[in-house]
Amino acid sequence: MTQVLDRLFTRLLNKHNASQWRYGSSVISILLVCISLFFIATKGFNWGLDFTGGVVSEIQLSQPISSSEISPLLEAGLGQKVSVVASDEPGRWVIRYAVPEDMNASAASIETLLAPLSGEVQVLNTSIVGPQVGQELAEQGGLALLVSMMCIMVYLSIRFEWRLALGSLVALVHDVVFVLGFFALSQMEFNLTVLAAVLAILGYSLNDSIIIADRIRELLRLQPDSALADVNNQAIKATFTRTMITSGTTLMTVSALWLLGGAPLAGFAIAMFIGILAGTWSSISVGTSLPEVLGLRAEHYQEVALPDSP
Amino acid sequence: MKQRATKRTLNQYSYWQYTVLIVTLFIMLLSALPSWFGESPAMQINHNKVEQTHPYLVLDPLAMQRQLVEQGVHVKQIKQDNENTWVVLEDASQLPLARQVLTESAALPDQDLPITLASVANAPQWLSALGFKPIALGLDLRGGVQFLLDVDMAPVYQGQTDQVRKEINTWLREHKIRGAQFSAMSADGFSIYLADSGQRSELTQHLKRQYPNWQVSLTGERLKVERQAAEHLALRNLTVQQNLQIMRSRIEELGITEASVQRQGEHRIRIELPGVQDPAQAKNVIGATASLAFYQVLADQALAGKTLLDEQGRPVRVAQAPVLTGEHIVDARASLGEMGMPEVNITLDQQGGRMMAEFSRQNIGKPMATAYSEYSRNAKGEVTQSHKIISVATIQSGLGAKFRITGTGSMQDAQSLALLLRAGSLTAPVTIVEERTIGPTLGAENISNGFAALTLGLGMTLVFMALWYRRLGWIANVALLANMVMLFGLLALIPGAVLTLPGIAGLVLTVGMAVDTNVLIFERIRDKLKQGNSMARAIDSGFSSATSTIFDANFTTMITAIVLYSIGNGPIQGFALTLGLGLLTSMFTGIFASRAMINWFWGNDARRSVRI
Repeated sequence: MTQVLDRLFTRLLNKHNASQWRYGSSVISILLVCISLFFIATKGFNWGLDFTGGVVSEIQLSQPISSSEISPLLEAGLGQKVSVVASDEPGRWVIRYAVPEDMNASAASIETLLAPLSGEVQVLNTSIVGPQVGQELAEQGGLALLVSMMCIMVYLSIRFEWRLALGSLVALVHDVVFVLGFFALSQMEFNLTVLAAVLAILGYSLNDSIIIADRIRELLRLQPDSALADVNNQAIKATFTRTMITSGTTLMTVSALWLLGGAPLAGFAIAMFIGILAGTWSSISVGTSLPEVLGLRAEHYQEVALPDSP
Repeated sequence: MKQRATKRTLNQYSYWQYTVLIVTLFIMLLSALPSWFGESPAMQINHNKVEQTHPYLVLDPLAMQRQLVEQGVHVKQIKQDNENTWVVLEDASQLPLARQVLTESAALPDQDLPITLASVANAPQWLSALGFKPIALGLDLRGGVQFLLDVDMAPVYQGQTDQVRKEINTWLREHKIRGAQFSAMSADGFSIYLADSGQRSELTQHLKRQYPNWQVSLTGERLKVERQAAEHLALRNLTVQQNLQIMRSRIEELGITEASVQRQGEHRIRIELPGVQDPAQAKNVIGATASLAFYQVLADQALAGKTLLDEQGRPVRVAQAPVLTGEHIVDARASLGEMGMPEVNITLDQQGGRMMAEFSRQNIGKPMATAYSEYSRNAKGEVTQSHKIISVATIQSGLGAKFRITGTGSMQDAQSLALLLRAGSLTAPVTIVEERTIGPTLGAENISNGFAALTLGLGMTLVFMALWYRRLGWIANVALLANMVMLFGLLALIPGAVLTLPGIAGLVLTVGMAVDTNVLIFERIRDKLKQGNSMARAIDSGFSSATSTIFDANFTTMITAIVLYSIGNGPIQGFALTLGLGLLTSMFTGIFASRAMINWFWGNDARRSVRI
């Protein structure tokens, strides 16, 4: 089995064209990041309830009823515009509206407002988030992203030579920007769980980069006279099977989550799926090409050789 | 240490290493088992409490079973021991119905039966007896209501500042110092302009002596009076603590054993009510207002007045009108008095001080009662009122604006009395800023979806690994299953660990990523074999060269898990928890457990050019 992958790898990438592959894919990566940034700038995100504040209710109706029957009843009762969207499952509706003035008072319940409809109305869940809390959660989320980035940067700069570290970091930013770009383009809801996925991507995306960088370091010490491009290609080849298997199993489990996890985890699963794909791609392309551009050489590792060489 | 050992005799784990491994896995398995059986919703009826409200009621399990089944409630089990009767149901959504049936069947239909909602583990008795419990589920998985309350500190700071300002003004008037001009700075302080330098230093002396918690500084002819940072913090902590205490006692009345009331951040309170389906009732209880009053205690029950009950249920006869109500209390703090006895120091505002002075002068040697009243709305939306005498103390001497209550019992009692006293006036306005209701059906659906995804993900990974690495794949698979057992075992063992829906997503991710450890090792072994090493040698160097890479790769994910845990809220913390724990267990099983197995099977395999 493993041999098949090896043969595939050698056929696609031999000594002569492997570098071209990497450079080509790096250019594609840069293009994709630009496109993502464009979408983030122009379309923005469809922020979820966690960040905007508001009321979201999910209801189950026993009779097939259209949204044009539900909306007027609710809008009359609540005195404001109400968005009524059909959920994935039949008879389920997601209702979203602004937070009433006084959250301490119990407002008229959706069940009573929808009582005139035929059939049974069941409220499955309701979330009310005050605007102040939403603002704070958004700030905390941003803070979490920043703190993680800082910690990772500190770790990388201690662990690796700065050129390699920068390569991994750029690959990381690429993955996150790409996932964010997808959410801006698709206008899928960006909520707290998606944010958690983005943070997990920070960690996972580095996995591949670090493992390849580890190999590069090892090979540079073993063969100080080789050209860096060759060393990089060797390192990628040596870790390629592992990269494919791990990305493969992770993608499999994430797809299982996407398929069966239900609506609340769909955003999370999609973000992880894209993040892992982008992470694998970028660790091979940008992550190794950037150190070459920055002029990483074998002597950088001879000078700062760590005592605990692997 | 491990490495040194392996170098001496290649690929051999000592007996103690196998023992540690097997014992750890066995304990984790035991700890994980109760979660497999799950929990059932139940109602707990305490016999002592029943005796107080329904003295003649006999709780007959058979009759209860019959009544419940007649009304269509699916009863799983009714257990009775000396203290409690447990009614275990199949379905959480039938709890309100079952409660209603039992209440109506009781002899006094207008009085609620003291029923608390709880959950009972389905695991066999011996597992529970060993202290193993099922994993605690978050509200998104079990259903319930969650509130986030905001304690508004601004009025508290402003109120205290205004009070100090008023007191200083009075002092100035009493000492015939004129021409002082006050100007407000913020909720945390003010400044006083005083032209005469002698008077100014006199005032400074007074302030420093009387208000140690305030910072006094002089700029030109202006005295700046500001609350010290430590006092600012102390006041906030006291206020939030006091609200926590009040909320806890109110939530207790709702009768939910697993309810939690916790402080979150600087001035927030998170209340979780598992099993509650209607937030309206909980809202009424949370939104109750409290007040406090001091009463003259009447010696004779026959005198015109009213009778209130104290905490032990004993009647206390007090005057119809209170001497003073709680809105005059500015501050109340517990401390140790001169004799080392706990006491509560109370500060009244000016008007209250005058009223108290007048009353106490005339009543030295007589008792005074402190009553706590609460107004709340019941399930029908009617305002109900409850009174309780919280302390009766004897007036020793004429009291002023500042006085103390002694004989309150232990320091803890004094502290809780101080909290209650403060509740009368200083209470910061509390508002609900977040409210989430998750129906029990949705919770159950989330669990089944999450675990379906986990099963599919796990199944696919196991099949893939077995096909790809064949014999070594089976090692990885056993390690992966051991990893899952450990993860569930740890989640059940760690106090405060809660499994949420994003937490299940973390489990699924862990399954995908956990094999990475084994893949890294296997690939290294394969490389070494290619270089012409024997199987045993390849295993040894494969493991040792992969280990540092594994640590490196997992470290960054660990960073994000820790950041997420410390910054995130409930569900996100659940994700961070399974993510972080998953990394630890996958390193344990991937490196330690799989090495043990590989050593066992191939440890002394001297063959070269083995294909794996």
